[in-house]
Amino acid sequence: MAPTTYTEEVVCVPRAGTLYDVMELILDRGMVIDVFVRVSLVGIEILKIDARVVVASVDTYLRFAEACNRVDLERDRTSRTVPELFGGGGGGAGAVAQGLGKRKVKKAVGAVEDKVKRAVGEGDEDDEPEPDDEPRPRRRTGSAAPARTRRRSEED
Amino acid sequence: MAESAAIAATAAPRSVYVYGVVHARRVLPPGRTGVGEHPAPLRTLRAGELAAVVSDAPAGLRAKRRDLLAHQELSLALAADGPVLPMRFGMVAPDEEMVRRQLESSHGDCLAALHRVDGRVEMNLKAVPAQGDLRSLVREDPEVARLRTAARRTPGYETSLRLGEAVARGLTRRATATAAAVLAELSEVADERVAGPEVPGCVLNASFLLAREELRRFRDVVERLAAEHGGHVELRLTGPLPCYSFVEPAWAC
Repeated sequence: MAPTTYTEEVVCVPRAGTLYDVMELILDRGMVIDVFVRVSLVGIEILKIDARVVVASVDTYLRFAEACNRVDLERDRTSRTVPELFGGGGGGAGAVAQGLGKRKVKKAVGAVEDKVKRAVGEGDEDDEPEPDDEPRPRRRTGSAAPARTRRRSEED
Repeated sequence: MAESAAIAATAAPRSVYVYGVVHARRVLPPGRTGVGEHPAPLRTLRAGELAAVVSDAPAGLRAKRRDLLAHQELSLALAADGPVLPMRFGMVAPDEEMVRRQLESSHGDCLAALHRVDGRVEMNLKAVPAQGDLRSLVREDPEVARLRTAARRTPGYETSLRLGEAVARGLTRRATATAAAVLAELSEVADERVAGPEVPGCVLNASFLLAREELRRFRDVVERLAAEHGGHVELRLTGPLPCYSFVEPAWAC
């Protein structure tokens, strides 16, 4: 069986109970036999990636604009203002990201997992409209984005 | 998903769910069960040097989380101690005889495919735009710089929205370019690579085939690239996986 420990920041070892990063491979890759029938995937909507950049929402754009406006080009390049705003990334990304509260990360993970569960139809409830529970905290300022690469190590 | 128009499986009493194909001599990992509300016991159907790992197909099977997990975990377990050709989720054969006939008719191809993945693993890499380094984006992206100036001059909803859109575009563009460089470098340390299905939000989804002994080295390279390019792109490496992306797309019929 696959090992279940995480030794690297960006490496996720697949383990029992998680589908998050490989669902599209299970559904879209693998061997196919033409003469066999396939279980219907109709109506399945799978949340695959919690991508805040590409999510085209007014909320996202306004958050970006606000952060962008706060960038002070005159200040020292090593300023942490922007990375702090986004809760990670940028300049001293690693250190800042790791300093994030676990609680926040966990909360985000919970929401994502929950959404995935519903999306793949656990409990036969996948026809229900999905409540608006974006995995990221809705605050427009402050640490809006938990460090994604840490997610799996925080899931436990 | 590409398969959204797939035919609904008719769960005839004799139908079997197929998990993967292995060498006939393989022993099933103990304690594993298959898909379904009451997980079905697993068995193998042999034909020549091949065996299909199957269970009875439960009535009314759908792609539930529970079943996706059962499929994935069995594939992982099978891949952990020998080569396996994992099936795509949800393949149901009308009866055992049909599975055996398929194994026989594609015997040579399947053996070759098993040989190809023997001792190898799949590693999947996804890249999403990083959001941290806005300072350099403002410096380097003329559109962002222009709209930022405009937004400061005339603060308001409309100017903020335009600026925010430009930032999102800029971050994605930058991440896409960086991901291409990452992909090129990683291709040097893998035996093969293929593009994964498009995933919303990802600027890169790629799978790599590499020898199990190369795992350490591959991870190290990804770690280095993640550190080097962290300002532009966030990398997520998943694996070792069963070689979903490196089996033939279809059996000869």
